[in-house]
Amino acid sequence: MKKKLISMLLTAAMVASLVGCGGGAATEEAPAADTQTEAAATETKEEAPAETEAAAEEYKLESVNMVINGTLTATVDNGQADFEKQWEEAVGVDLIIQQLDHSGYVDAVGRLFAGGDYPDVIIMSADMYAQYAPTGLLWDMTEAYENAEFQARMTLPAINENLKKDGKLYGFAPTYGNGCVTYVKKAWLDAVGLNADDIKTYDDYYNMLLAFHNEDPDGNGTKGDTYGVVAAGFLGNEAPYINYLPEFWQNAYPAILQGSDGVWYDGFQTQETKDALLRLQQAYADGAIDPETLTASTKIAREKWFSNDQTGSSGVFTYWAGSWYQTLTDNLIKNEVDEELVQLAPIAEVEAIGGYLNREAPVWCIIDDGDGDNAREQAIFDAFIETMMDGDVVQTLWTYGAEDVHWSTKAESFVTNPDDPDKKKEYNYEEGQFHLKQSPNDPNSVWKKNHLDPALVVCELTNGFVDTAELAVAGNKFFTENCIDAPISPASETYTNESGTIYDAKLAVVTEVVVNGGDVDAAMDNYVATVGSIIDQCLSELNQ
Amino acid sequence: MSKKVVMTSTGVPVREKPLGLRIWNNRGYYLMFLPVFIFVLLINYWPMLGVRYAFYDYKPVGEPVFVGLKHFQKLFETDAFWNSFTNTLELSIMRLILTNVASIVVSVFLNEMGNLVAKKTLQTLIYLPHFMSWAVVASIFSLLLSPSATGMVNGWLKDLGVIPADQMGIYFLADSKVWRPIFYLINIWKETGWGTIIFLATLSGINPELYEAADIDGATRLQKIRFVTMPALANTIITVLVLNLAKVLNMFEPVFVLYNNAVYDVADVISTYIYRQTFAIALPNYGYSTAVGLFRSLVGGALVILCNWLSKKVRGRGIV
Repeated sequence: MKKKLISMLLTAAMVASLVGCGGGAATEEAPAADTQTEAAATETKEEAPAETEAAAEEYKLESVNMVINGTLTATVDNGQADFEKQWEEAVGVDLIIQQLDHSGYVDAVGRLFAGGDYPDVIIMSADMYAQYAPTGLLWDMTEAYENAEFQARMTLPAINENLKKDGKLYGFAPTYGNGCVTYVKKAWLDAVGLNADDIKTYDDYYNMLLAFHNEDPDGNGTKGDTYGVVAAGFLGNEAPYINYLPEFWQNAYPAILQGSDGVWYDGFQTQETKDALLRLQQAYADGAIDPETLTASTKIAREKWFSNDQTGSSGVFTYWAGSWYQTLTDNLIKNEVDEELVQLAPIAEVEAIGGYLNREAPVWCIIDDGDGDNAREQAIFDAFIETMMDGDVVQTLWTYGAEDVHWSTKAESFVTNPDDPDKKKEYNYEEGQFHLKQSPNDPNSVWKKNHLDPALVVCELTNGFVDTAELAVAGNKFFTENCIDAPISPASETYTNESGTIYDAKLAVVTEVVVNGGDVDAAMDNYVATVGSIIDQCLSELNQ
Repeated sequence: MSKKVVMTSTGVPVREKPLGLRIWNNRGYYLMFLPVFIFVLLINYWPMLGVRYAFYDYKPVGEPVFVGLKHFQKLFETDAFWNSFTNTLELSIMRLILTNVASIVVSVFLNEMGNLVAKKTLQTLIYLPHFMSWAVVASIFSLLLSPSATGMVNGWLKDLGVIPADQMGIYFLADSKVWRPIFYLINIWKETGWGTIIFLATLSGINPELYEAADIDGATRLQKIRFVTMPALANTIITVLVLNLAKVLNMFEPVFVLYNNAVYDVADVISTYIYRQTFAIALPNYGYSTAVGLFRSLVGGALVILCNWLSKKVRGRGIV
């Protein structure tokens, strides 16, 4: 009898635990692409703005579930709870933050969606936006955007106008995309007797790289143990692909792109790309490029570049403009590598295409629940996107973080690196003076910004809070004066399905030519043999 | 129809009772088994229903669409898939053989060591790499084998004059010609120690009288290894090889952390191929990845059956 009782209790406990594990998701609503038909979507989109606003007024939004990558610098260990609390107090809605790993963001989002875990708002790169926009998952926010209050304060309207697909806007870009500029260590230039102002052509640039490799720019007494330039790969895996080595790629754009006549073509198969590959091949063989460029991630390339031990490092690094100018300089100073960083003006060959590439901006998208009613989505737009650009409290939260955690207007003094006489720095602020505080997770550094870069936003703050570091301002100014918009990303069914295979085939060509010193025509023939039919299918769909 | 007669454990013939009655009579045991049965069904078998997506276009967005054998047709026509398939077999089998040979050699040497303290110390030292994660191992070897000026191995080669001082170092992890030997070496370094455990256990079970008899017969140490130790190990060696052969298609982590696009031709295995097809693109088609995974499982299943047959032949009993 005892045995039976125990077995029954065990059974009950196990079944109860399994039921408990399995519950929870049953009541979740499936989003648009799961349930809505094209007809329903069209019906939704054709509703009048007045009706939409009225519906939004009726809809009571209680929470916003947000999915974001590493661009929210107020991370869990860096004051995110305070950011979230102050956002909720300002907006009156519960904010749920899902911050996914930055480097694995694309696949993490795919897994979320495949698992039926749809957020309310999500940030997407240009590539992701191009591929998700036609799926029906993203809410058409055209009307909400056009009726938004922030329109009156918009300083860069073209950014979002360019994001429209067939006149419809499925994502909002709060900033312009930004891009990479070429930085050179000033101390290395001095060591090899060069002046950045004299680097005007590819030949000048290449000779500078050779000097960094063949001479002793780090002053350790050994020649040949340094390199000209380092990058995270010869060819990036997301648009605009070539921005880490623009001087080599020049007028080549090794991706499917749209010509001035509106016709899509494969830029990888052009003579310009072959020429660029040969330039890279030569540079690799000459030691002008750090060979680890082939396998380095951005983090590895970056840290190798500003490492305290400069053996094996490089003089040139092409990286993000603006606040990264400040960050890279800070790291060079911190590691006692250099005091000054030079932003290299585009060489003539890069200038010929308009300068450094301004990538397509990342966008905030609202997930359409597909119920044919815009009320929920409009309410999310009002609570999330409209407030993000309010010019005041909430925009400040997104720009600088939480008050009295990341920034303050109260009188205070603090010291960074108090135990190191060389790095020690004192900060004093008066009452009412806006300033950034010490980083919550690193009292030896001053907080820089949160999600929005104040120098890149499409609507500026109206409360006068400005504390952009001097170099970041200079960096943004330099970039905007020397940039051109990158080509738009393609979106077709075949391209979506086969982009991984196409990228693998491109990497095979790049590796064969650059690293193995192979024949560029033979490698390109192999590329055509491998993915030529796929590319043709993509082009056929894009040019329909 | 008369009831079937069965023999009890005491050898008494009895007529078999109906199944329902037998279950009812043993309902306590069945009730105890029920939670486990439900658990196994839910955790092990229910997810297997997902293999149906091998026959669907299944993307993160939208309803799955039935496409029949389209994905299988695509994978059979894709060179990259066959490349990864053959790489998987070659890398796994070679790794299996090399790490086991190394483990056997080290086990025999350890078994021959007289100094117990030295033996235990050495054993502990060679076990340690097994406990390092593959990510850490990859980072260490990437630094050691770096082609740039900071690479220790290339530095030695230059100091020894193997590579001219003004020439670029060997890019060990990005050169198709040397990637596999390096991969095997790293695997041997990491797993040999751990692999010795089972062989040392077998060696400690060898009857000492056999060695004494060999001594009386005037056998040298090498002869004792050859005629006593190795025959005693043979069954264990075959068992280990057969048991591991069934898992050869599961290789992922060691390759994933050590490979790169320059060595896809010799390093890309099925799991890494699936990974790239699934996670490296913005809107993946899980249907294709599932088809590749299902194909791998089918081949893996066939290997298990083969190993089971081999095991029966060698050991007299199967592995499943």
